[in-house]
Amino acid sequence: MSALLAPTLMDAGLLAQLAVGGLAVVAAVLAPPRARNLAAGGALVATGLAGAVTGVAALLGVEAGGVPVPVALPLTAPLDALVLAPDALGGLFMALAGVVVALAALFGIGYAHGAAASRTGWTAFAVFAVGLQLVPAAADAISFLLAWELMALGSTVLLLADHAARGPVRRATLWYAVMTHLSFLLLLAGFGVLVAAGGSTSFAAMRTAGVAGPAADLAFVLMVTGFATKAGLVPVHVWLPRAHPEAPSHMSAAMSAAMVKMGVYGMLLLTLRLLPAGPRWWALVLVALGAVSALYGILQASVQADLKRLLAYSTTENIGLITTAVGVGLLLRDSGQSAVADVALVAALLLAVSHAAFKSVLFLGAGSVLHATGTRDLDLLGGLAARMPWTSGAFGVGALGAAALPVTSGFVAEWVLLQGLIHVDARTDRLLAIVIPVTMGIVALTIGLGLLTFVKAYGIGFLARPRTSAAADAREAGVAMRTAMVAGAVLVVGLGLVPGPLSQALAAAVAATGVASVNGAGLAVGAAAAVLDPVALTALAAAVLVPLVAVNVVLARRHPRREVALAWGCGGERTSPRMEYNATSYSEPVVRVFRASLQARRAVDVVHPDSAPMIVEHMSFTQETADVVESRLYLPATRALARAGDLARRVQNGSIHRYIGISFAALVLVLVVVAL
Amino acid sequence: MSTQLYQQLLATTTGLLLLTAVLQVWGRTIIRAIGLLVVQGVALAGLVLTVGVRAGEPTAPLVAALVLVVKAGVLPWAMARGARRAGATRDNAALAKPAVELIGAAGLTVLAYAVSGPLVGEAADPALRAVPVGFSLILLGFWQLLIRGSAITQLVGFLMLDNGIATVSFLISGGLPLVVELGATLDVLLVVLILGALLVRMQAEQGHIDVPELRELHD
Repeated sequence: MSALLAPTLMDAGLLAQLAVGGLAVVAAVLAPPRARNLAAGGALVATGLAGAVTGVAALLGVEAGGVPVPVALPLTAPLDALVLAPDALGGLFMALAGVVVALAALFGIGYAHGAAASRTGWTAFAVFAVGLQLVPAAADAISFLLAWELMALGSTVLLLADHAARGPVRRATLWYAVMTHLSFLLLLAGFGVLVAAGGSTSFAAMRTAGVAGPAADLAFVLMVTGFATKAGLVPVHVWLPRAHPEAPSHMSAAMSAAMVKMGVYGMLLLTLRLLPAGPRWWALVLVALGAVSALYGILQASVQADLKRLLAYSTTENIGLITTAVGVGLLLRDSGQSAVADVALVAALLLAVSHAAFKSVLFLGAGSVLHATGTRDLDLLGGLAARMPWTSGAFGVGALGAAALPVTSGFVAEWVLLQGLIHVDARTDRLLAIVIPVTMGIVALTIGLGLLTFVKAYGIGFLARPRTSAAADAREAGVAMRTAMVAGAVLVVGLGLVPGPLSQALAAAVAATGVASVNGAGLAVGAAAAVLDPVALTALAAAVLVPLVAVNVVLARRHPRREVALAWGCGGERTSPRMEYNATSYSEPVVRVFRASLQARRAVDVVHPDSAPMIVEHMSFTQETADVVESRLYLPATRALARAGDLARRVQNGSIHRYIGISFAALVLVLVVVAL
Repeated sequence: MSTQLYQQLLATTTGLLLLTAVLQVWGRTIIRAIGLLVVQGVALAGLVLTVGVRAGEPTAPLVAALVLVVKAGVLPWAMARGARRAGATRDNAALAKPAVELIGAAGLTVLAYAVSGPLVGEAADPALRAVPVGFSLILLGFWQLLIRGSAITQLVGFLMLDNGIATVSFLISGGLPLVVELGATLDVLLVVLILGALLVRMQAEQGHIDVPELRELHD
């Protein structure tokens, strides 16, 4: 019965996403302004949940019957039918996107204001969400690209929604639109190569065609560049630190936690499903891309003072780690060490899930802070823990996850990754003997800098005393926003406490063996002979800590709290908010150590009164760090383009005779060609 | 209509078309350019009538009359009026010497014969064998657009180009449906009327109607 019913259930799930997403559009357009957030946001929460349920079903192995996409293409080319039918891997990413969309939409009900709460804003979000959730469901190239473009379209419109109010939005959108179209074009070309070589647009047929040689290499390079652009890997990450901060925060969360994951999904689709037998250098390319992105991303994140920009660079870092893990997995599969390779691939998926969970919490938390204080600048925040306890708690849990500390999902994922890297047998393979230790070093450095980054983000932003009145007057967010953040935080901790079942399902999705669930919650990595049981560890830690804390509390009760005043302070305070560490000063050591790659420019401006050059009247310090990739790669490229444009102006000089001459020459040329 | 008469009429009209087109390229006075255009319009109307009657089109006289009125009547009249009101008599801003113009025109005519071979093929129909004349008209019209400086003589080039297109279409398909012909003619008429108004404005603001002087781009 269930075997018969299951395919139709899966199709029903896909159709439900489309239907409820359409309902969200209708609600966004028809609902009166007051009810719009609730109506459209509510429908989108349902869309997200439908995606999550369908995705989990696909992940657990429910076969899809396949929903034909009713699109009539005006093409005469022999295309296969457009079909939506997620496999287990697609199901994972659909579930991931669904959960993130549900959280973001729930948050948006309370958060969306201004342009984001307009008809256009919610419609764009709905289009984006549906596209996002259907990308992993595509079973052929055309429907994949359709969903991909839907996702790009919705996100661009929503990003641009606020352009009238804030100038940087326009620039960010321009970067985003250019990069996202570049990505689409590269994918189109890559799929074109695959279709030409394999003779079919369906994924299943592409796999059985077994494209190899130069065609496969070309397709790999084109598509990996395209997916890397979406995923925000260095050097095609430039849109990310611009777009994420400027988007409305619930949108930032959805973009960072789910949309960039579609780039990861694309890479997995390409290397595991479409072209599973790639040469070794493919894996090395992925490892190199990932390692550079991870290190560069976290380095930039560690010195940012803008909270959302920090989170955006941290996204590049996490995607870098995921790509590294995928690359290592492919490299090891190629070297015949399939057991360890499986560990690395499962680590990649765990990293993806964990990043989705904690990054949505972090971006939603940042949105809540922005909503309450009107600023994203960490140097102007502080003291929010006492004023916004829910936001602070959720953000703290997210920061723990991002810093990969127990008991969060981030810890589990990076533990599995390091277990995989440590247990590689590199004795006989020179390449592995070089690549694996270097990778391990980079991953370790990245994790270390990640810890520093998120200690900064949480410590400077939420602890200590408020640095400005905006931070001092902050109020806690509303119910919908709180619920979304707490739900995300629960996911972060839940996946950290009970990683076993998820890991087992992920292992099945990439046909990995040796990663299994133990004791119902824990995680056993066969190849490494290692077991991680967070519940047991937590119980153990609690057994040690609870008596200690209890003793402390009892002792504190016996000795009432004493006020300590400065001995010679004349009643003054020990510290003022001006004397606290701020984000810039906290990351100062990092800026010094990595000054070559951060290119920090600093200026100390001292103003003396005219009469007394020894007395300082006013002093200011500014520091700017540059994105080296942007200044060394993109600026020269855009300058060259601008020069080419200037040259073109010599042709386009306003003389009608010149234009007529050009078209006449073209006509004569065509005629001559025809005659020959 | 006997085949011989048909051939003779066809040769006369297309020959007249080509002759007027070549004569356009030398000589600089505006009234002469417009006069040649009138002759060309009459020749085109004759061609339309010949081809239409031969093909047994019942609307052929109507179309021919339309062509005659518009191409040999209204358009030249509107241009002459514009030139008179703008006070222009000569094209003083041509970009090439008459000798260069003539050599270019000869080359383009040869090119038109060379390139229309593959398009027409080894046709026995005399109408099809006359298609190169239409192509010559198109190329010579373009040529005039390119080298002439005065707005009026450029407009003459544009109308010649349009005559060329009409010639090719009549010769190849034996005439267009009345509706299409009406639409195309009205388009051209509108262009000329608007340009006539524009000429007066140009003269008022610039003091001349020389197109090469209009180089500054404005948003």
